[in-house]
This record gives sequence, C-alpha cells and structure tokens, in this order.
Amino acid sequence: MARRSKRDERDERDVTVDEAPGRPEGGRFEATVHPGERDVALAQVSDLDLDRIPDPQGGVRVVVTADELAELVRRGYEVRVFRTVPIAPLDPSLIESDEDARRWLDERVAGIPREEEG
Amino acid sequence: MYRTVAQLDSLTQLLATWFPDFFTRIQLPEASVQGRPVFALRLRAGTGPERRGVLLVGGTHARELMNPDAIVELAVDLFTSYVNERDLVYGGRRWPAADVKLILEALDIWMVPCVNPDGRVHVMTIDGMWRKNRRTNAGTTCIGVDLNRNADFVWGVTQGQTSCNPCTDIYVGPSAFSEPENRNVKHLLDTHRVDTFVDVHSYSELILWPWGHAPSQTTDPSKRFTTLPTGTCAPIGVPGYQEYIPPRDLQRFQTVGGRIRDAIEAVRGRTYANQAGIALYPTTGTWSDYTYSRHIANSRLNKTYGFTFETGPYVGSAEESFHPADPEPVKRDAKSGMVALLQQSICAIELIGLQFFRAQTEVNALRKVRDKLLATTDAGREWIALFERVEVPALAAALQDRDLLAESAELVKRSAGLARDDTVKLTAEEVDAGVKVLRRLRTRVDDPALRTDLRAIEVHLDAMRGVTMAKAVERLMAQPPSAKPKPPVPRGRAATGSNATSKGIENGSPKATANAKASAGKVAENGAPKAKAAAKPRTRAR
Repeated sequence: MARRSKRDERDERDVTVDEAPGRPEGGRFEATVHPGERDVALAQVSDLDLDRIPDPQGGVRVVVTADELAELVRRGYEVRVFRTVPIAPLDPSLIESDEDARRWLDERVAGIPREEEG
Repeated sequence: MYRTVAQLDSLTQLLATWFPDFFTRIQLPEASVQGRPVFALRLRAGTGPERRGVLLVGGTHARELMNPDAIVELAVDLFTSYVNERDLVYGGRRWPAADVKLILEALDIWMVPCVNPDGRVHVMTIDGMWRKNRRTNAGTTCIGVDLNRNADFVWGVTQGQTSCNPCTDIYVGPSAFSEPENRNVKHLLDTHRVDTFVDVHSYSELILWPWGHAPSQTTDPSKRFTTLPTGTCAPIGVPGYQEYIPPRDLQRFQTVGGRIRDAIEAVRGRTYANQAGIALYPTTGTWSDYTYSRHIANSRLNKTYGFTFETGPYVGSAEESFHPADPEPVKRDAKSGMVALLQQSICAIELIGLQFFRAQTEVNALRKVRDKLLATTDAGREWIALFERVEVPALAAALQDRDLLAESAELVKRSAGLARDDTVKLTAEEVDAGVKVLRRLRTRVDDPALRTDLRAIEVHLDAMRGVTMAKAVERLMAQPPSAKPKPPVPRGRAATGSNATSKGIENGSPKATANAKASAGKVAENGAPKAKAAAKPRTRAR
C-alpha cells in the first residue's frame, strides 16, 4: 500500500470538499462507434462532443455515460461496449511512496557532490 | 508507479538545491485554479547568456500520468550522464556521453513536468480518468477546461474534437488562455527563447506536428489561420480549407519527427507514427499548433517548432493505456524520443558562431542563405536536410579533437564571412581546407549514412573552386546532394534551365532562382553591410 504525504492527504480533503460532477452521475463505458445499419456518418460523432480516445485501428473509440451511449444508439450508430469505466481514483498501489520517491533520486545522484539543503 | 504532485515538486526542488550549477527552478507566475504552485525547471551545463531553448511540457491532460514522471527522470538521466561522463542508455538506444555533453552545453532545456497539478491530484484521489483542469464553469455544475484546446490558435472554433460545451471533456474554456495553468506556459514562451516545444501526452504512439485544425498545403500562402474567425463555437466555415505551411518547415517537422521515431524504435522496437496532428483527429487551440503559429501571428516572435508526443500503445483498455501498471517501458520510449528532439534542436553553426566567435551577424547571414534561398527549391531543401543530419554528430566528433574542432570552427567562420559578401570567390586554398576537414570528420564518425552525407558535401565543395558565394548557393539550389556536381547554368537561363523549377519554389514564384543571385547579395542585411551591386568579383586574398 502506498504511503501518502501530508500534502497529498490535504489535497485529497480539498478536492473532496469542492468536488462537483464533471460529467453526469452514473457509470461510464468504453465503447467503439460504428455506422450501423443506417450507415450514419462517423464524422458526425464529433457533433456529440464525446470523450473520444485514440483507437488502435483508427476507429472511433469513446468513453461515454449511459445517456451518451443511448443518444448514439438513438442516432442510428452501432455501439459496441467493451467495459465499464468506474469513477474511482487511481489504484493506490500504483502511487509511489514519498520514501521511495526520495530514495530513487538519492540512488541516481549518489557520489555526485551536492550543495547542502538549506 | 506514479509520483504525486508533491513528490514531483520535491524532486525538482532537491535538484535545484543540490546542483545549482545545472538546475534552476522557478515558480511560474500563477497558481493553478485550486491554488497549487506550478514550477518550471531549467537544465543546462556551463554559464553564459540565454541559448537555444527547448521546452518540455507534461501532465496537460491529468489522466496521462506517465509523462510528468518521464520528464523529471529525463532531467536526472541527462544530468548524471553529463557529470559521470557515461553514455545514456534506454533499452537498445545508446546516447554517447559526448552527445549528452553537447546537448547540455548547447541548449537551455526548460521543463514543466506537471502543468495541471489539480488534475493529477484529482486522478489520484477521485477519478482516474479525469482529463481537464479543475475550473468551476460558471452557470453549470460541470468542472474543467481542456488545457489542450484553450491556447490562442483558432480558439473556440469547434473543429472535430473541440467543444464549447463546458460539460464535455474537450471544452475550450470561456476565452483563449482563460486558464492560469496555460498562462504559465505562455509566460515561458513569452519570456525565454524557445526554439522547440513538445507537449507530451498519452496514448497511441504518435509524433504529431502542425497542423491539427486543417489539412496542410505548401502552395498557397494566402490560406492562413490569421484570416479565420475565432470564438465562433462552430467548425471552420470555409469548405475545403487547407492551411499553408512553408515547404521548409514541413520538411523539418517530418525529418525531426523521423529522427524521434527512429530513436524510440531503437529502444524496444515500438514504431511511432510521424504525422500531422489532424491525422489523429481535428482540433483547435492545441499547444503544438499554438507554439508554431506564434511567429506567423506576430512576425516579431521567433519561430518555435511545436510537437506533440502521444506515448504508449493501446493495451486493451483506456484506463490501462493511460496509466499502465508498469509504465517503465513507455517512459523509456518517451525519454529516448525527447533526447532525439533535444539533439535535433542543436544548431551547430549557431553554437560555433555565437559561442566561439560571438559572430551574430555572420550567423544571421548563414541563416538567411538557408531560409531565403536554399529553402525555396527542392534541391536546396535536400541540402538543408543533409546539413541538419550531419551537424550534430559531426560537431560531437569534432569536440573530441581540439585540432579538428579548431579547423571546423575556422571553416564555419570563413563560410559565414563569405555569406556576408556573395561576390567573393572561394579560393582553392579555402576549398582544400574545407575538404580536409570533411575528410577528417568522415574518419571520426561510425554511421555509414553519415559518411555518405559528408562525402556528398566534400564532392560538391571540391567543384566550387573559384566560384563566387552567390554562384555556389545557386548550384546548391539546383543540384541535390545526390547529383554529380556540374557547372551552373549560364546567366539568364537560371529560371528555366535548372532543377529549380516553379514546382519546387516556395510561394510558387517562378523567379526564385533568377532572383537567387540578387537575393544572395542581400543576405547580410540586419546589421551587416550589403554587398555593393557594383562590386566586381574578386579573388579572396588569404
């Protein structure tokens, strides 16, 4: 489990207090969009102002809410949903501890003469 | 593993405290929306006035977590390589210590590792897929502005993935540069010399350059973004609009991007695509377009070559692609790409001319020959590309040999002097001296392609005994490096008798070649005395 600095703990409190939804509440989905049976032009997906993310095959890949997904279907697109994208913080195990962050630098610059910290 | 904002700030603070001869950290003028300080770090070796500058920016989009870490690590890697005189190795790509030395002694490397600290905190504490900053958008319950849609470049024109809806992830903000995080980056561009810029994003393994808002074209300079309305909250209203880019600049983006691609591929075999930004999807208000557009919007500003990297592949899900469990391989790719960008930002002529001779006028004269003459023909641009390929490795080789460095520097000095007065003829002694230096350089470089390039210069130089500088430039404009040197076409036939046809001439001017000689006589304007029209060609006395 990563250890948090006091600054980060304060950051978390601050952010939690002023939190407001950047997007509608509810789940999100990673999906690709296709022309569908009505052969709707994919270029018009940009009209929906979705969170489009790069697609390895050059297609249209998006992260959308349930409402946005429904709107895509209503417009005649075929939408293939791959997974849910929860509104959750980064896995804490992926966050460096303060001690490890400092140790990394100490090891890298070991042996190089340095000025003393004030 | 990913570093917190506090850890990133702490690392840059420690570097500046421990190693003040190399690192300078400055707090940028504005705090983030939520009040966090934002820092820039400058890395350089040695003293002296401001140099050519490169600005590396990361964390613009909050969820793209790898890049702030990669930028800070790159700073440490470059520093330790320099101090310990050890090669810098990223996977299969090795950067000789001499190359790193040259980078740190030739450039001012500016870094803003985490432009958007509020967003990064939000990703680590609330929502791992957050993209924007944390602006409260008036009149809505929606948060955030997309910092890579908010720059003053065709701002508020909702081309492609750009929106005026505050609740979207691609919101342009209430006005251009409305966001303090972005004004900080603009402040650096306004107050320091920045010749090259990269905004490091994730993901999809791309090297992007202008333009992002429209397809590029190289033939109609009247098609400029400065003529487009902004803030319309509608797409570009001109059907089929294509933005002009000078052929020379397009070539430079392509060639520098190609070097970056090669440097990344050498790490572990990942092949990044090197392309204009619009190939990903259309956008406006992005950083790479803005930085490159500045000198067009305001001719008093220096040109900045603006790039965007999109680091890492898609690995099965968006979350894992934005912040993989093991980001180390992607960071190594990114760092190798950034080193290549730094290396390509060095100008050997400027380094020798300014740092060795303080010869600003002569450097300006050579730059004018490059930009006003060579850049106007296909053959000339091939020569520019060749010089840009060879200059850094040749300079690195010369720096290992004091005699060779002195001779190379003298050659540059003489060339610059000749550029100031294009009626002066190249003497046999000067050509011999140049050929001698080129031959010695050829023995000091390992890359066969580089030796071929040096040989091409040698062959063409050898055929220029007794010709004037104007004629020499005219030949280079007509004969590409691969061509066998031949005498220039007789006077009066240049416009139609050489390879410099209107096809390859910037702005479509059919008179470019015919004007080359006349223009060459003006290359020393801005301080240097112009060549007198009536001056007779003379043989240079040594």
